[in-house]
Amino acid sequence: MAMFPVISNFQYDFVLQLVPVDSENSIDEVAAAAAYHSVGRRVAPQPGKVVRVRRQGAVEFFPRTARLSETDIKPMETLEFIFCDA
Amino acid sequence: MALLERAEWYDIARATNWTPTYVTDSELFPDVMSGAQGVSAEKWEVYDEPYKTSYPEYVRVQREKDAGAYSVKAALERSRMFENADPGWLSILKSHYGAIALGEYAAMSAEARMARFGRAPGMRNMATFGMLDENRHAQLQLYFPHEHCPKDRQFDWAHKAYHSNEWGAIAARHAFDDLFLARSATDIAVMLTFAFETGFTNMQFLGLAADAAETGDFTFSSLISSIQTDESRHAQIGGPALQVLITNGRKAEAQKLVDMAIARAWRIFSLLTGPAMDYYTPLEHRKQSFKEFMQEWIVGQFERSLIDLGLDLPWYWDKMIAEFEYQHHAYHLGVWFWRPTVWWNPAAGMTPDCRDWLEEKYPGWNDTFGKCWDVIIDNLLAGKPELTLPETLPIVCNMNQLPICAIPGKGWNVQDYPLDYNGRSYHFNSEIDRWIFQQDPVRYRDHMTVVDRFLAGQIQPANLAGALLYMDLAPGEIGSDAHQYAWVEAYRNTPRNKRIA
Ligand SMILES: [Fe+2]
Ligand SMILES: [Fe+2]
Repeated sequence: MAMFPVISNFQYDFVLQLVPVDSENSIDEVAAAAAYHSVGRRVAPQPGKVVRVRRQGAVEFFPRTARLSETDIKPMETLEFIFCDA
Repeated sequence: MALLERAEWYDIARATNWTPTYVTDSELFPDVMSGAQGVSAEKWEVYDEPYKTSYPEYVRVQREKDAGAYSVKAALERSRMFENADPGWLSILKSHYGAIALGEYAAMSAEARMARFGRAPGMRNMATFGMLDENRHAQLQLYFPHEHCPKDRQFDWAHKAYHSNEWGAIAARHAFDDLFLARSATDIAVMLTFAFETGFTNMQFLGLAADAAETGDFTFSSLISSIQTDESRHAQIGGPALQVLITNGRKAEAQKLVDMAIARAWRIFSLLTGPAMDYYTPLEHRKQSFKEFMQEWIVGQFERSLIDLGLDLPWYWDKMIAEFEYQHHAYHLGVWFWRPTVWWNPAAGMTPDCRDWLEEKYPGWNDTFGKCWDVIIDNLLAGKPELTLPETLPIVCNMNQLPICAIPGKGWNVQDYPLDYNGRSYHFNSEIDRWIFQQDPVRYRDHMTVVDRFLAGQIQPANLAGALLYMDLAPGEIGSDAHQYAWVEAYRNTPRNKRIA
């Protein structure tokens, strides 16, 4: 358990944001934390879609259930949050 | 006794170089202060300032200018401009004064450095007057807003901003420390007077003077026109300095200073002037879009000054021109969304007519920035203003200290430009910002952005209230929507065509 700040680059939003999460959060939980600051504020919700997470510039997404501490994501790394078909 | 014409004595009187005997030349003009770049004193003596004046002439003209500006102010004191002006216009005044007044004071220090350490006698001469100019600008722009302080505490930020850790003030200090204060006399001539003033101050001072006259704020219009007449004189200090550098084989060094300074100036003006021209100025008073203004002054005119001097266009020129389309829209959205963290009340500039104008001036605006504003409008209509306010910090660029932002919606191109340097991760808004850092990492590496400070525990409590405390924004000073959301009503019975981005 440790505070783990990441940078959210949320699809269709205009700005990078600081999202403090926990090292034991799952990737889906990280996505939800990032969505909290974008979706419904400046990004229209997309019902039926799921938000997947990848490293900026990467093609592959991180597994949704992986814990942050199990990945090689570093604190304050910029992650992309992308709407995908469920 | 008959007086000689200025032209008959100027060259002799200007020749103020001498051979020191009590100290060495390098003690009198240390390189770190003069920035002579190894060009000898004799070679600097060919520096010929294009605008010549004498002290008596200067004092007479400046006295008239001051009398003009102050008498317009006095005559219009009862004009009820404050009561009658659109709130968006008052926001322009507040953001301008806070960002500029003490910046002028910094510019005075910079001119003083050229007056003392400039290698060319002509540069020292011009800079002596420039120093007096900048002192006048600081005084005027502290005095003029002062009358509004009893009515509106946000005007107090004309003086307060630079003494605070408000994020915009940090950004302004970072840029002005870099371009004006922590530089040698030669660097200042190039970066402040040539790049910043010749290139960009027209933007704020001519663009806003026109909008002010249109709006009916003749006090502000005459004030900043008066200032601009000084700027256009002392901005000419840089050109001949660049000629000396280029003639003596220092083109690459000069080009680098120019490129860094233009990039930094562009960011400041896209934050300050962009939203003012395209959003805060009431629609019926807008003369040109910010992009049109940039194209006329930067691409049309400044580009030619660069080429005429024998410089190249900065390597990023096309990238910067591409940013004319979007960067200031992104800054505007950021400033409006994080409005409690500024000392003015951002005007959304978001009526249906405003959006039509934006779409006309910036084709595609509705599909990009408009998408974010659609969500904001829906939340305001649904009575959920809390969703139009931030609950976290934006990531701030390690160079320009402004949020890292770009195009949302259909043109989504937001990107971090990261850099690992000496075990620390840095984040930049663009390749250009990262490039500036890489030119002189030792100079920039230790600075902490607002986000760095937050993560280091310097902002307590670690929430918005703590951030406002850290930024010294007191009740009555905290920004809110300039029109108290009155503009949203236009959408209540005419829902916009909504599609998912
Ligand atoms: Fe000035
Ligand atoms: Fe100036």
